[in-house]
Amino acid sequence: MIPFGHALAFAGALFVLGLTCVLLHRQILMILIGVEIMLNGASLVFVAASAYWRQVDGQVFAILLMAVTAAEVAVALAMVVYLWRRKRTLVADEFNGMHG
Amino acid sequence: MTTALFYILGFTMLAATLLCITRRNPVHAVIYLVAGLFALALMFYLLGAPLVAAWQVIVYAGAIMVLFLFIIMMLGLAPQEVPEGPGWQRWGPLVLLSSSIMICTVLLILQDPLAGKQIGDFYLAPQILGEALFSRYALAVEIVSFQLLFATIGAYMLGRPLPKGEDQ
Amino acid sequence: MNESLLFLIPLLPLFCAVINMLFGMRLPRLFTEVLAVIGVAGAFGLTLLFWDYAEGNGSRAVLFTWLNSGTLNVSFALNFDRLAAPMTLMVTGVATLIHLYAIGYMREEADYARFFSLLNLFVFAMLAIVLADNLLVLFLGWEGVGFCSYGLIGFWYRKLENAKAGTKAFLVTRVGDVFLGVAMLWLFALTGTLSISAINAQAASISPGVVIVLSLLLLLGACGKSAQLPLMTWLADAMAGPTPVSALIHAATMVTAGVYLLCRFFPLVSLSAVAMTAITAIGALTAIYAASCAMAQRDIKRVLAYSTMSQVGYMFMAVGAGTVAGAMFHLLTHAFFKAVLFMAAGCIIHQAGGENDLFKMGGLFRRGPTELFWVFLAGAACLAGLPLSGGFFSKDGILLALYTHADPVFRVFWLIGIVTALLTAFYTFRLVYLVFAGEWRGSGSPHDLPWLMRWPLWPLALLSLAGGLFNLPALVGGGEALHHWYGTMAGRTLTVSPDVEWMLAGLAAVVAAMGWLAAHWRYRNYHAPLENPLSRFLLSGWQADALLDRLFVRPFNAMALFSWIGCDRTLFDGSLEGLARTSTRCGALLLRITTGRLTTYLSAFAWGFLILLGWFLLKLVEGGGQ
Repeated sequence: MIPFGHALAFAGALFVLGLTCVLLHRQILMILIGVEIMLNGASLVFVAASAYWRQVDGQVFAILLMAVTAAEVAVALAMVVYLWRRKRTLVADEFNGMHG
Repeated sequence: MTTALFYILGFTMLAATLLCITRRNPVHAVIYLVAGLFALALMFYLLGAPLVAAWQVIVYAGAIMVLFLFIIMMLGLAPQEVPEGPGWQRWGPLVLLSSSIMICTVLLILQDPLAGKQIGDFYLAPQILGEALFSRYALAVEIVSFQLLFATIGAYMLGRPLPKGEDQ
Repeated sequence: MNESLLFLIPLLPLFCAVINMLFGMRLPRLFTEVLAVIGVAGAFGLTLLFWDYAEGNGSRAVLFTWLNSGTLNVSFALNFDRLAAPMTLMVTGVATLIHLYAIGYMREEADYARFFSLLNLFVFAMLAIVLADNLLVLFLGWEGVGFCSYGLIGFWYRKLENAKAGTKAFLVTRVGDVFLGVAMLWLFALTGTLSISAINAQAASISPGVVIVLSLLLLLGACGKSAQLPLMTWLADAMAGPTPVSALIHAATMVTAGVYLLCRFFPLVSLSAVAMTAITAIGALTAIYAASCAMAQRDIKRVLAYSTMSQVGYMFMAVGAGTVAGAMFHLLTHAFFKAVLFMAAGCIIHQAGGENDLFKMGGLFRRGPTELFWVFLAGAACLAGLPLSGGFFSKDGILLALYTHADPVFRVFWLIGIVTALLTAFYTFRLVYLVFAGEWRGSGSPHDLPWLMRWPLWPLALLSLAGGLFNLPALVGGGEALHHWYGTMAGRTLTVSPDVEWMLAGLAAVVAAMGWLAAHWRYRNYHAPLENPLSRFLLSGWQADALLDRLFVRPFNAMALFSWIGCDRTLFDGSLEGLARTSTRCGALLLRITTGRLTTYLSAFAWGFLILLGWFLLKLVEGGGQ
């Protein structure tokens, strides 16, 4: 028997770690890894909720989330390669073309 | 037994993730992340989701992370150099921010009326999940598959050779 | 036949104008000219053809509903009645002859398509005024003639003074149009309709005070178009246009539009004795003012312009004295003789080699074709009111109406009319003597006169001489045809003993003869023009331009300057620019946040997330653990 709150707390901790990673790193690749960690936190919430309410929907969403993540990663990594080819760097702050 | 295992796996996962996000070398970070993802997959299994756990291993830890590794190695990324300046200036606000969010999250979860509720024994057969996916959620599956198709096309477009003059 | 065929009368000139406007320069020149003539000649023929429709109460034709909004219902409607029919016939007939003349006059003009399309458009607009069934159609024509006259006066716009004369005419007549517009809106507010006949039918129910004001507004509107006293300054300058334009617009048709308007609204206007006196007073003052100015003018066309003003003043007097038939009679004869005078003046200027100055002409009787002298003399006789000419009878009718009016004030106006007649006879024969008598004083060599410039003068000259036959008084055995034709619209019937009538006719004849004799005595032998303050005063039109400049133009300029520098530049621009500068600075501040760096945005996102979480936490704490 696992308290539902504890499962959520693990998920929240995972999410915050991912957020920290996003904020901490200056390199696009590491920022992407942070995003993946945050998505996993969300995924854990879905699965825990599915078990708590004994419903199938949460797991369905976890799977859909995984597919969406795959799509996101495909585009994001292609973009990483693209950016690398343009500037030979992956430091996010180098790409400040949106500067007003 | 299950409960103890859940906590052990949970802390393992958090530790691996913490190690992951503090690495300077991206290869190491990804390896730690894979370890964390394995732990997460087992947690999924404990929460009665064997199919999600299996796909977590196959898709996430297997495919996506390998893709990361592949890109890192292809681009030959060096470990990040330490930025100039005193550490606290860079870390201070960040630590404050993250810990505030963490505290908020934990407080929210503990204040939650659901806090006392337990997750009972639960096991969802992959068959039921599959039926739900392809009946009730068929439209969502279709949409996501289209999204994957578009992502593939997008990745292909981005991956084409740059026009002359744009390459440095 | 169908009554809506009446629309062909105004639409034919419009059609030809549009064709000429769009394709005139691509078509052969002859085609353009013939089309222009067909436009007006066709309208003339149609008017004759449809003449029967005017009898009885006239015919009304609706082409389509123009505006329909609430109680406002305006149709594009024509009213071809006893008042409109002779006017239509005169406008189209005179315009046809003037068009023919213009072909000869403008034969070396390169921009002929613009000229002829504007002429045709002008005829259309004039016909819209004449035939309008409601005030809005009338106003359309009213503005239309204003626009066309602007375009035609400034026809040779490359010379600045011509363009300025056009602008002046446009602006001054616009002042009158404002009053007409006010009257129109007020009438609509009072009666709920814009139909002229309906307004006239309801006129008796409007309170007398309002009738006075409305009549005065209509009078001011009429003054603008007809160049009467406060708004008269544009007409003399309008002579900058080509001579056919002067003949068409500033003699025969447009300036009479004001008279026609007052005749149209006669049932309304005649309700107010004050307004009638005001109309007569305006007419009388303009008549004597313009006649005095005409005595000192040196430009042949300006003399004729002032004489037009003066004669239109007579028409106003006639309306004021209550005789619509008299006003329309004078309007018709005046249209004929003034058209012939202007067209002959165009020929004279041609003969004098483009010279306008009377004092540089002379001897044209021997020099030019003698027929020119005879047609000019025919027009001059009418203008001077020599007995048995058309102008004599029409002017006499007006003086009779003034003399027999019940109000004693009208005796004063009658006296002014007599004095004006004397002055008119004098300046008319001054013109004749200066142009035709004596020796040639000019320097230019004559241009040849094309055939088309000569023969249209003859029918007009004959019409002006025989114009009296239209309304020959019963005194000399006439039938007063025009008076009977107008029937109930003719206004007051004059009942007067034959003795008084003979006395007045004799007086008019004596006055005309005196004017002639005075001119004969003064100008039989050439004298150099007088150079004294009085002649300068008269030459400048009593300094009216300078006066208006002082009264209106300069204060207006000062006000505009104040608005520009004081208000617009300083107040509005200053505050707006200050506002703009402040917002630019604020934008620069915000720009610092917009670093374009991904990390900045991400941490902003995280802060936002934290605030959101804090908010939820706060709600939870406030909720107190339920």
